[in-house]
Amino acid sequence: MSLKGYGAFLAAYLGPQRRRVALLAVLLLGSIGLQLANPQILRFFIDTAEQGGSLDALLVAAGLFLASAVIGQVVTVAETYTAEGIGWTAANRLRADLALHCLKLDAAFHGRHTPGELLERIDGDVLKLNNFFSRLIVALLGNLLLMLGVLALLFRIDSRVGLAMTAFVALALALFRALGGVAVPHWAAARAAHADLFGFLEERFAGTEDLRANGAVPYALRRLAERAWALVRAQRRAAVFGVTLGGTTFFLFAVGTALAVGLGAYLYRAGAITIGTVYILFAYTELLRRPLEQITRQLQDLQQAAAGLARVRALLDERSAIGDGPGAPLPDGPLAVEFDRVTFAYPPEARPASADGTADGAADGAAREEGPTLADLSFAVPAGGRLGLLGRTGSGKTTIARLLHRLYDPQGGAIRLGGVDLRDLRLQELQARVGVVSQDIQFFQASIRDNLTFFDRDIADERIWAALADLGLDGWCAALPEGLDTILPAGGGGLSAGEGQLLAFARAFLRDPGLIILDEASSRLDPATEARIERAVDRLLAGRTAIIIAHRLATVERVDEILILEGGRILEWGARGRLAADPDSRFAGLLRVGLAEVTR
Amino acid sequence: MRSLLWGLIRHRPDLYLASGMFASVLFYLFPLVPGLIVRAVLDRLTGAATAGPGIPTLVALLVGLGATQGVALFGAAAAETSAGQYAGALLRRNLFARVLERPGARALPSSPGEAISRFRDDVQVVYQFLTWTLDPIGQLLVAGVALAIMIRIDPLITLAVLAPVGFVLVFVNLASARIRRYRRASQEATGAVTDLLGEIFGAVGAVRAAGAEERVVAHFGRVNAARRSATLKDLLFTQLLWSVSANAANLGTGIVLLLAARAMGRGAFSVGDFALFVSYIGWLAQVSSMFGNFLTQFRQTGVSRERLVAALQGAPPATLTRRAPIFPRQLPDASPPPNGRADRLERLEARGLTYRHPGSDRGIAGVSFRLERGDFLVITGRVGAGKTTLLRALLGLLPADGGEVRWNGRPVDDPGGFLVPPRAAYVPQSPRLFSETLRDNILLGLPPERVDLPAVLRAAALDRDLALLDRGLDTAIGSRGVKLSGGQAQRVAAARMFARGADLLVVDDLSSALDVETERLLWDRLFAGRDARATVLAVSHRPAALRRADRIIVLEDGRVADSGTLAELLDRSPEMRRLWAGEVAGKRAGAA
Repeated sequence: MSLKGYGAFLAAYLGPQRRRVALLAVLLLGSIGLQLANPQILRFFIDTAEQGGSLDALLVAAGLFLASAVIGQVVTVAETYTAEGIGWTAANRLRADLALHCLKLDAAFHGRHTPGELLERIDGDVLKLNNFFSRLIVALLGNLLLMLGVLALLFRIDSRVGLAMTAFVALALALFRALGGVAVPHWAAARAAHADLFGFLEERFAGTEDLRANGAVPYALRRLAERAWALVRAQRRAAVFGVTLGGTTFFLFAVGTALAVGLGAYLYRAGAITIGTVYILFAYTELLRRPLEQITRQLQDLQQAAAGLARVRALLDERSAIGDGPGAPLPDGPLAVEFDRVTFAYPPEARPASADGTADGAADGAAREEGPTLADLSFAVPAGGRLGLLGRTGSGKTTIARLLHRLYDPQGGAIRLGGVDLRDLRLQELQARVGVVSQDIQFFQASIRDNLTFFDRDIADERIWAALADLGLDGWCAALPEGLDTILPAGGGGLSAGEGQLLAFARAFLRDPGLIILDEASSRLDPATEARIERAVDRLLAGRTAIIIAHRLATVERVDEILILEGGRILEWGARGRLAADPDSRFAGLLRVGLAEVTR
Repeated sequence: MRSLLWGLIRHRPDLYLASGMFASVLFYLFPLVPGLIVRAVLDRLTGAATAGPGIPTLVALLVGLGATQGVALFGAAAAETSAGQYAGALLRRNLFARVLERPGARALPSSPGEAISRFRDDVQVVYQFLTWTLDPIGQLLVAGVALAIMIRIDPLITLAVLAPVGFVLVFVNLASARIRRYRRASQEATGAVTDLLGEIFGAVGAVRAAGAEERVVAHFGRVNAARRSATLKDLLFTQLLWSVSANAANLGTGIVLLLAARAMGRGAFSVGDFALFVSYIGWLAQVSSMFGNFLTQFRQTGVSRERLVAALQGAPPATLTRRAPIFPRQLPDASPPPNGRADRLERLEARGLTYRHPGSDRGIAGVSFRLERGDFLVITGRVGAGKTTLLRALLGLLPADGGEVRWNGRPVDDPGGFLVPPRAAYVPQSPRLFSETLRDNILLGLPPERVDLPAVLRAAALDRDLALLDRGLDTAIGSRGVKLSGGQAQRVAAARMFARGADLLVVDDLSSALDVETERLLWDRLFAGRDARATVLAVSHRPAALRRADRIIVLEDGRVADSGTLAELLDRSPEMRRLWAGEVAGKRAGAA
């Protein structure tokens, strides 16, 4: 990344914290000044003592030394705390920006990236940038300043010493730079082995039941052993290559100290400097150690941060194929739906994201090879109408639902909602007016209230209770220890599939949409539980347009029209009563065998 | 804590001692030498010393020492990493083995993300601390040597320097309880952030459909802010402690300055002595702050140890360090015993099986049934009736609160360990696949020559799908099997079950991810499996399964409401009629 790129990034995330950054700079300069002053006090002390100076002067020097040491510590703690605070604030902002950005990306993106991978990129990569934000630039500058300060003071003592030590510093930096990259590929390999091990464990944790009940425990332990060995080997290599730099440092500083002490001895004997100055040469050489070591490491960190920044930028540069519309207004109330010669095929790399709900990924895959998933499809549902979608898995039912809330855009034709092309609507408006209830329901480890409202604090509790009452869940919720504030455990644990489904209905109730898409909403419910929510569903559908995708005939009883899809085309479309009465219709045929699926 | 560390040391004492020699003892002693050399140089210059090696020799010694120190560092790196990594591998292996020993549906002590953090972060804290346990010996040694040298120069000044070091130790000990608390809070806050991120991106479709992106991210921001403040508290406290130790050193140097002022004037304390004192006090202070750090780490290791013991979920803590093979070459050949066995299934009985989900009144109570070889028994009931719980309790995937399971009349003590292949095999409702090849996912370690894969694939109705995959059985199916559809995943799990050739096949609801046609095909094949004398226990409410069942058990609120053939039950069980009516309601409605 270019210097300008760094600058823009830092400006964006540190800019709002200008004052804290300024405070940090002051603290840093203060701590450098104290470090440079300390040896000067010691020199004064030694020279005064050697020359038999006054005891008072010596005691004052000792007092000064103590004071500067204590102040130095306070400054250092304050500096670290300020820097970390700045870093965390900036990194958290970046995390939130990334999370929001990713959430707004299209389904194709989420098809390519698993939740685990996004977690690593939003939290893991950014964690590495914490250091970049908080310390790296400031500390690098600080170390450079400290180094230059020491060299300048050495020049003041004697230009020969200054020159010699400058040459030493230049040599050390060049050597460190040359050696700096030696361990990098080995650390990368170690990190990869590490990631592999924990990826393995995470998967197995999810599958303990499968492993246990199918007698695969020894197998899992063997796989773990393979990964453990790979990790040990990679870590050992990385550690040994990793100390190349450290080992060289020991040697180099021995040379540096030898140089300072040797030069000091020569100059002292030549009468050019005092014994206190010989000591200060030694002390300043020691003082050079830390910046020299750190500058090399910080330059490497900067490279790593650049890699991390590049990954973050790449993520931020991902553009959703679904652009926001200019914001045409939608009519109030129920919304008419119109598919006008719609042609659509999934983009080649997209498998349907696990999150959006259904299980016909394979069917989509198969359809991909045969041609478009939807071919020149036209149909309409009037405002307030109810359409039942039937068809085999992979016939395009779920795809219709996905197109309707713009997880994808069609390649040909137009989809209109309330007479407005979807692409002309603001996405937010679209999402607000189209409610989707799918069979795959996701919950957060958060309160029931937040789960139902999706963290919308503006929804009054009365509305939530009303929605729960409509679904017969008010008793269940009131019996919970903390009512609406009860925190659902991870993964919605403790909820039965039926309760989960009912809560998903409650979510839709609260949003009051003009179009409801029930996407296989009842396939996991047993018939008895389903009967319990039929009344509630009827209330949900009242005054709204509805598209219901169903596997069972019971579900389509409540619709006005039936549309049967096959291979992305309409096989049959008409009023339910008429189709049922026509003995030659596919629908009537289905009723006879009692299946909602089109079988061959 | 001591027994944990001892256990780890006993596992590989050789690595532990090598690491201690290089990384603990030599590391501390090396820095004492330059002080001596610089002192000699300064004293030669001022004339305080006249004997001994000349300045060029001393300077050469400095360089030689640096070279030796550099080389020793490589030994330290290799030894320390090996000792730590071997210990980490043992801990993780034993923790993982324990997780796999637990009832499968209750295997983890917490959320998977949290469990990962124990396996990763807490294990690391412990093994890192292990490699530091010999440091106090090196620290003691360096303190002894340095003090001996300093006392020989000036006993009074030396003793005056000891005071601040003692102060640091007391202080750090007093502060330790807080360190524990702050560290734990910061770890918990981090866990909350990673859990939430996982949930957000697991539910991305739902979040988008609800238009809740901003609100969800705002919630994320709140959780992030909590983590920031917890981490900063932890950091500030650690920094303060560190600063106190460092100041103790400066205090010591200040004391030397005060006391040496007189002595230097008298010529009793040379410039070289002064340089050596400052250098040694600096190093001793660092060492004492390292010891303070060691104590801090000791406390923090205590926190991590607690978390690891908690992850054992009731097993004795010694389980963590139990001697076990951790690398492939130490493992025996892992093929399971062949199928020729004496106790083939004749009759399976469940008597009064009871399980209550913790913190609720849900579960199953007093469920009894009996299964003869070749039976096809279907369990049905509405959502929440306890069907899955019953299967799990039977198979020991949940710890039953009461009742017993009998295999051929003999009670089974540990169903979780007993009802596994070749006796029983299982397809859960939401099976989990692993990012390996399709073949490995099905075999899960079975020797390939012992499995008739084509037959297994046919039985699981996977044969047609396989033709569509570009690499057939060698297709890598991606993380958690993402490259397969839900229906395919369920059938891979069925293939897994068939491949075990078990006497008893246990199948939880197949309807969630399969279309009706494929599901019926699977029931067909399962039913056909009966000819091979397989016994089937299945949860379903589909007519395709109910019609074929020899017997049906109707569960209602965790109890057996009734059992019998479909005809009998439709005749006398209102619950069965309700379930059946719902299933075929469309048919009647259409006919009307």
